Amino acid sequence: MEKVIKLLTKYYPVYLSGLWGTLWISAATVLFGCLLGLLVALMRMSRNKVLGAVSHVYIEVLRGTPVLLQLYFFWIGLPKLVPFELSDTQCIVAALAVNASAFISEIIRAGIGAVDKGQWEAARSIGLSEVHVMTHVILPQAIKNILPALCNEFISTVKGTSLASVFFVGELMTSFKSVSSATFLALQSLTIVGAIYFTLNFVLSRLLQVLERRLMVSD
Amino acid sequence: MTDVILRTEDLKKNFGQLEVLKGITTEIRRGKVVSIIGPSGGGKSTFLRCLNRLEMPDAGKVFFRGQDITDKKLDISKYRQSIGMVFQHFNVFPNMTVLENVTLAPVLEKKVPKEQAREDAMALLCRVGLSDKAEEYPRKLSGGQKQRLAIVRALAMKPEVMLFDEPTSALDPEMVKEVLNVIRELTRSGMTILIVTHEMSFAREVSDRVLFICDGVIKEEGTPEQIFTCPHDPSTIKFLSMVL
Repeated sequence: MEKVIKLLTKYYPVYLSGLWGTLWISAATVLFGCLLGLLVALMRMSRNKVLGAVSHVYIEVLRGTPVLLQLYFFWIGLPKLVPFELSDTQCIVAALAVNASAFISEIIRAGIGAVDKGQWEAARSIGLSEVHVMTHVILPQAIKNILPALCNEFISTVKGTSLASVFFVGELMTSFKSVSSATFLALQSLTIVGAIYFTLNFVLSRLLQVLERRLMVSD
Repeated sequence: MTDVILRTEDLKKNFGQLEVLKGITTEIRRGKVVSIIGPSGGGKSTFLRCLNRLEMPDAGKVFFRGQDITDKKLDISKYRQSIGMVFQHFNVFPNMTVLENVTLAPVLEKKVPKEQAREDAMALLCRVGLSDKAEEYPRKLSGGQKQRLAIVRALAMKPEVMLFDEPTSALDPEMVKEVLNVIRELTRSGMTILIVTHEMSFAREVSDRVLFICDGVIKEEGTPEQIFTCPHDPSTIKFLSMVL
């Protein structure tokens, strides 16, 4: 315990910058993962067979291969594919977001599928455009259904960012590695990082619970 | 011919192997109230749902003021704004307040200013006795209130035709009356109305014309007098003897 406190007092800037890294990598992953996931879910549900097949393959490949492999793939491959400069961190965020999108898209699809068919019909019958049917009637109800599942996905996204430490892109696990190699106090440093992760996810799940309750006002 | 608002021509619809509509040809005149009766599974609801293309007919045509609405190039949501529909299971939007349910489509699709839409909605809600529920969510409403809300939601788009698909079938008996009263009032306002119903006395009272649909075709049609007092078709006679 003493050593933990010693580490904290001496190296707190390292942990703080690690926390910051984890926070923004997570936020970017969740944001882009959700947007991409929504797009993939809509493709998957569209009547267009090509879009459906493409999204199906996309989901299966991303679910069927290890995240770490995908990170390497993006880290090595993405800079060769795009005509502009990409930092390691950007490659990693892209990989994490793409990976998360596969899972999020399936959650969204299930949520949309769970909305009563009558809601679609009623929304169409009053003359709403297909876009408005989705944005004003179906998605708000779907999001309420899927919030618990999304919460799980967000938490596993936060934890998943630890894999980025393989590429030393500056998040909590990277902080652990730097501090423990400088001090040889691996277990203590790990404890600190573990506590931060736990706190982070605890707060996150509480925030989502509050959001869930606010969305439940109509029930 | 000018006062024909809806016309169907040999309308057919299959669900898989099942032929639900086997060719329905009829016309609906503006301002008339037409009841559609018949046994369950006979195609009444499917016929109604083809009129606003919630079901796409497999063959045949539907004309609204002379325009073919089975044309795939037609802006269908624009067309549906002129055709209100009320469902058996209400289908009010649970994620919005009563008022928002009503103002949603006018504001989004007709670009009615929010204040104006609110005023119009309140006037309509007042007409059906729901003005005190404007800020409530639908979960707090009874079945009858939900259905009145659904009617108002459709009316808010100022449709030229209203389709009612068994509007009282999912209601508790004590709430049927309040919904029928609203529809009755509407029939007196000159609105063109098609109503699929099992409320025979109501159909008899408000209709200008009654269609008896059975096995995917119109077996018999006529004034309520003709249909209810001296039906000719054996299937109509059989059906009426069972429900009356």
